[in-house]
Amino acid sequence: MEFALTQLAGFGGAFWDLITDPVAYVYIVVSVFLGIVFGALPGLTATLAVTILTGFFGNKIPLDYSLIALLGAYVGAIYGGSYPSILLNIPGTAASAATAMDGHPLAKAGRGAEALGLTTTASFIGTLIGTFALLIFVWLLLLISQSIASPEKALLALFGILLSGTLMSEDIVVKGWIAGLAGLAMAMVGLDPLLSEPRYTFGWSYLFSGFQVVPVLMGAFAVPQIIDGLRHMDMGQIISLKGRILPNLPVIRRHMPTIARSGVIGTGVGALPGVGEDVAGWVSYGVGKSVSSDGKNFGKGSMEGLLSSETANNACIGGALIPLLVLGIPGSPPAAALMGAFKLNNIIPGPTIDPAIILRVVAIMVLASFTMFLMGLFTARIFIQILRIPQTVFLPVVMVLTTIGSFSVGGGINDLYLMLGVGAVAYFMNLMKYPIAPLVIGVILGGLFDETFRRSLLLSDGDLSVFVSRPGAAILLTLNIALTLSQAPVVKRGFAKIRGT
Amino acid sequence: MKAIIASAAAALTFLSATAQAQEYPFRDITTAVVWGAGGGTDSINRMIMAEMEKHLPVSINVINQTGGVAGSNGMVYVQNQPDDGYTLVGLSESNVTAAVQGGWDQKFDFWYPFIVGGSPDLISVPADSPYNTLEELVDAAKAAPGTIPAAASGAGSIHHLNLLAIENGAGATFKFIPYEGSAAGQEAAMAGEVALVVTSLAEQAPLIEGGKLKPLAMLTPDAAEFNGSTIPSAFDIYDGLDQYLPLKQAIGFAVHESASDEVKAALTDAFDKAIASDTVAAWAAANNYDVGGQSGEEAQALFSKLESTFAYTLQELGATSVDPMSLGIEKP
Repeated sequence: MEFALTQLAGFGGAFWDLITDPVAYVYIVVSVFLGIVFGALPGLTATLAVTILTGFFGNKIPLDYSLIALLGAYVGAIYGGSYPSILLNIPGTAASAATAMDGHPLAKAGRGAEALGLTTTASFIGTLIGTFALLIFVWLLLLISQSIASPEKALLALFGILLSGTLMSEDIVVKGWIAGLAGLAMAMVGLDPLLSEPRYTFGWSYLFSGFQVVPVLMGAFAVPQIIDGLRHMDMGQIISLKGRILPNLPVIRRHMPTIARSGVIGTGVGALPGVGEDVAGWVSYGVGKSVSSDGKNFGKGSMEGLLSSETANNACIGGALIPLLVLGIPGSPPAAALMGAFKLNNIIPGPTIDPAIILRVVAIMVLASFTMFLMGLFTARIFIQILRIPQTVFLPVVMVLTTIGSFSVGGGINDLYLMLGVGAVAYFMNLMKYPIAPLVIGVILGGLFDETFRRSLLLSDGDLSVFVSRPGAAILLTLNIALTLSQAPVVKRGFAKIRGT
Repeated sequence: MKAIIASAAAALTFLSATAQAQEYPFRDITTAVVWGAGGGTDSINRMIMAEMEKHLPVSINVINQTGGVAGSNGMVYVQNQPDDGYTLVGLSESNVTAAVQGGWDQKFDFWYPFIVGGSPDLISVPADSPYNTLEELVDAAKAAPGTIPAAASGAGSIHHLNLLAIENGAGATFKFIPYEGSAAGQEAAMAGEVALVVTSLAEQAPLIEGGKLKPLAMLTPDAAEFNGSTIPSAFDIYDGLDQYLPLKQAIGFAVHESASDEVKAALTDAFDKAIASDTVAAWAAANNYDVGGQSGEEAQALFSKLESTFAYTLQELGATSVDPMSLGIEKP
């Protein structure tokens, strides 16, 4: 209890510093607005918003402010996705796919304004739940992480890649793993971290420092997204709104248990490495459907359904930041872009991270959620107007921004070649239904896995038993094996049989 | 039309001719730091450039050009800019390995360097370590050579070279475990994965203050006062260490050696005034750095010593792709 109070006091200080700084408001207003626009425009995603801002702000303004821009855009974009979900039945971001299930029927019934009022409030409360979890759990986990040594780190990195591959794959799970392992292989390029031997560099000095995170992020997330958006330009009819967008407090109060449950689910899913807001939204929607008394109305315009997905996807943000700050393992694709920003600023997540950064992150999240809430209530009409902009106009603009962002982080023209190369590969992976997020998680965690795995063996003189003799490592190894075996045909048949009988 | 172009060209030539006649510097200077934003080299350059600006009629912009091998990307970038003193490179001792690792093809005396300073290295153990002095640690290592794990950042880094030097000087062998960056090595020491860590005082300061690490000895000739207690110098414990040490960080910036004397003089003047300022002294004290202040030939001599030590150590470790001899780097 006392611990929680000191944390709240620390947070209070950081929040006060933030809200008394006039410059912070410029960043927060602009970035949340930009985030909502990115989220609202189908074809632009939260990951893209955070990635592009990382390119632009990552190493050009002090980290204190670039964090405001990145987190503001993140919170805004996850929320903004609900606009087209409700009004067009096209999710603005994958995170809002579940929102469309009940949001669109509500809009068709003429209750669009009411639905938007609810999603705005749910996103606001969801963000706060996730942020509160971040404030409390990050410290507990940082204490534990002090005793995490190389073998555990290696297995944790591998688990992150496999788990992201398992949960982010739309098609068969093995495709997710292939993407993750391809990312892991990409991480091997460059001078190896232990002995400084060049690997897969073909004598090209640019490759000595390996694949840079920002161009890889831009190539993986932006390029296929933009090509895809330009190929599918069909837009539906926007349902116009009647009435004002207001938080319907009695409804919110009545559904508080749903909101709380969804917030907890969203935070939990967020904390899983590399598993993002879209999974959080669907899981929470699925749980809601089976436990709610209103379950049979899910998909027909149920308030419960709307609140389930929209609270969870925003709660996911705080959750996704927990493993990022504790272990340098991004909890979601946009968090991977944040990791890129940390790398640009030489911030190394882990037990020695500056506590002030964590408090700053929490303070920014709270301010961002309030900003988002107010914008959602008062400027929603602007966002609805923005939905009318044709994709052929904004996607090329975004491509230019992506290129500038990628170029400006400092690696020179070669970064652009890398971005285009990764972009082309990612586009075809997309066509073949390979998920992209595990690839990026693989690139980010692959280096960690490589370094810690080999270091474990260096310390043990090549004895593989370090991965079973330490209790933490043994548990993680079991999880890795269980996850892999879960997809083996024998096991799958076994499960099917159990379910069948 | 032709006449217009001709006269425009003439005007341009005239303009640039007068520009050249103007005294250096008359337009803004750019410093390209070869390491990332927020790191030691970056923050030192931003600090010193802000201070030098006060003594120059122009502004200095600091940018980052990272990547390549040992910062070669940024060095090649500045190499390709004109040697007119308007593009400087922000660098550190770690860049001297770029040539032998195949990042670029120049000896380090391509640069005319200015050294702001560096933080001294020290050897520390986890707070709950059984070793309380350097002798105890070295004796244990002598009793079981090559078994006590020691952390330092990557093979061939300044901290690794310091570890090798103390091994040679004290006659002990540790089991070297490389880490990418100092923070990772220090965390490993806190987690008990390694028994000792060699990094700089600036990097260890918060951990020593927080009681997570126990400092055993400075790897510099002088003892240090830190956090209310004295950290003894390894030089006072083992004779003959001066053969191998000190190998100190040298962080600063450089201009092309081929730049004109006028440019060098103007930069040296501003640099000397900046180094003498209270701002630099206060910054160094607050961040546990020693102020260097060397420039020109003196700094070149220091870098050349570092270059040959690094180059031949790396060659022994088998981590070079270019023979240092072929670059004209002499043996230390």
